[in-house]
Amino acid sequence: MAWWQILLLTLYAGLEILDELQVYSALNTPVGAGLIAGIIMGDLPTGLFIGASMQLTVLGIGTFGGASKIDATTGTVLATAFSTTVKGMSPQTAISSIAVPVAAIMIELDILARFANTYFSHRIDHLIDQDKINYKAVERNVLYGAIPWSLSRAVPVFIALAFGRGLVQTIANALNGDLLWLGNGLAVAGATLPAVGFAVLLRYLPVKKHAAYLILGFTVTTLFSVLFSSIQALGTGLSQVNKGFTSIFNGLPMLAIAMLGLALAILHYKSIPLTKGAAQTTENQSNNANSDSDDEGEITDDEL
Amino acid sequence: MTNSKPKYKLTDQDFNQINRRSLFGFQLGWNYEKMQNSGYLYTILPQLRKIYGDDTPELREMMKTHMQFFNTSNFFNTIITGLDLAVEENEGIEGKDTVTGIKVGLMGSFAAIGDSIFASLIPTIFGALAASMATQGNPIGVIIWVAACLLICVFRWKQLRFAYGKGVSLVTDMRDQLNALTDSATVLGVFMVGALVATMVNIKFAWVPQIGKVTMNIQNNLDMIIPKLLPAAVVGFVYWMLGKKGMTSTKAIFIVLILCVILGGLGIVTKI
Repeated sequence: MAWWQILLLTLYAGLEILDELQVYSALNTPVGAGLIAGIIMGDLPTGLFIGASMQLTVLGIGTFGGASKIDATTGTVLATAFSTTVKGMSPQTAISSIAVPVAAIMIELDILARFANTYFSHRIDHLIDQDKINYKAVERNVLYGAIPWSLSRAVPVFIALAFGRGLVQTIANALNGDLLWLGNGLAVAGATLPAVGFAVLLRYLPVKKHAAYLILGFTVTTLFSVLFSSIQALGTGLSQVNKGFTSIFNGLPMLAIAMLGLALAILHYKSIPLTKGAAQTTENQSNNANSDSDDEGEITDDEL
Repeated sequence: MTNSKPKYKLTDQDFNQINRRSLFGFQLGWNYEKMQNSGYLYTILPQLRKIYGDDTPELREMMKTHMQFFNTSNFFNTIITGLDLAVEENEGIEGKDTVTGIKVGLMGSFAAIGDSIFASLIPTIFGALAASMATQGNPIGVIIWVAACLLICVFRWKQLRFAYGKGVSLVTDMRDQLNALTDSATVLGVFMVGALVATMVNIKFAWVPQIGKVTMNIQNNLDMIIPKLLPAAVVGFVYWMLGKKGMTSTKAIFIVLILCVILGGLGIVTKI
């Protein structure tokens, strides 16, 4: 790993948490981290693969601001960095042996950052009690909060990248040597972990109410994915037997499945009666209400 | 003190400044004790100074009021800010109780709506799309998600002015729309989870036991019932486990990790 790669990854780790707290550009998400770490490490597919798996693992785990949550983004950064530079560390093994433990340990540092910020909040209380309030100082003490947040991610990433490589190499060697069974098990774990994200998400979504859509989504996708992968296998086989066979078959496009879901969601939306007109709105508010529903309609389309 | 009604009227610059501060500074001060208290004060401090005037007892009083506990969705916080400022601009310090009422009364419901839309639904829908493309090495899905987030930022920017103009009636007006929207989005969310279970949990049975002279290919037998039964069973198992007392998502991740190491190590299950 070159020094500039360590530097850039550390910088990203320090910035992504600020992004998550504020703008939320989606580059702070695990899959976004996979993209960026992949570019920095010069191995985009590995980064994207690790980021995607971690994204799915934490799919349902998300509260903003409230509670500390498993930090899959930092886990992705380290797993990508080590998977691309350590011999014998496959992406799947990196997910379960690096990304998940790191993500879990990072919860503690997140808590630390939140505690540290209490100090600045108290300083602001103190400033307001002064005879002459220093307004600039009040604002500064809000912005200082960025420092604990940033350091809570940047410092561990830097330490791990700068000093962790030897350790990770030792682990990788063991997993491919004496502990091959463990290596295999960890790879299976890496492939299974997204299931946790799905299950957590189902706990938050009204599954019982919308069970039909869950079954529909699963069954339609299962059938199509088997069909598509079978045809792909068939095509590969045929092209080996017959050189004249040059058609290319792609895998199942997930966007098409999502469009099916979107269509169902739109149908559902249209079937909900809106009681807006019946509400206690007065004559001139009903005017506003109309333009309102137009605005909201726009939000609908864009958010989906 | 006698002239307690403020005369300042908020301008476009004020709204832009609040939005800038909200988008780039609202949650920096997040702390365990009072959460977004300092962030809330930070977003509107310049406007408070203009409304009440520097070094007045009113300003000090309102600064203290805004330094109380506050926590809501950072996607909807400016709606509350807009309603708050509409009151403060008209009534000044006399609106203090109303302002506190608005803030405390609305932060919980906006936190709930905001989290269900922006912490669950949007990441599910766009995260699922981005992740399924990314597993094939395609970054387009991530870029689509980033574009969607920028669009959301546009709405976050506009809602302050909107809320300020509409006043408190906005909340009752919006509720039905938002509920219908959230409910429909959950349909898409649930559908996508079903699709993801079918494509993204890539494990199968590798165990081929010999019973007498017959070899039993478990995976093939299962495939004849319905493909991807094992992934569905795993998700069902974790779902059931999460319903147990004291179970957290982090614990669930480690339980699955350990079970997989055992089953994978014994060669019963393998990745595809």
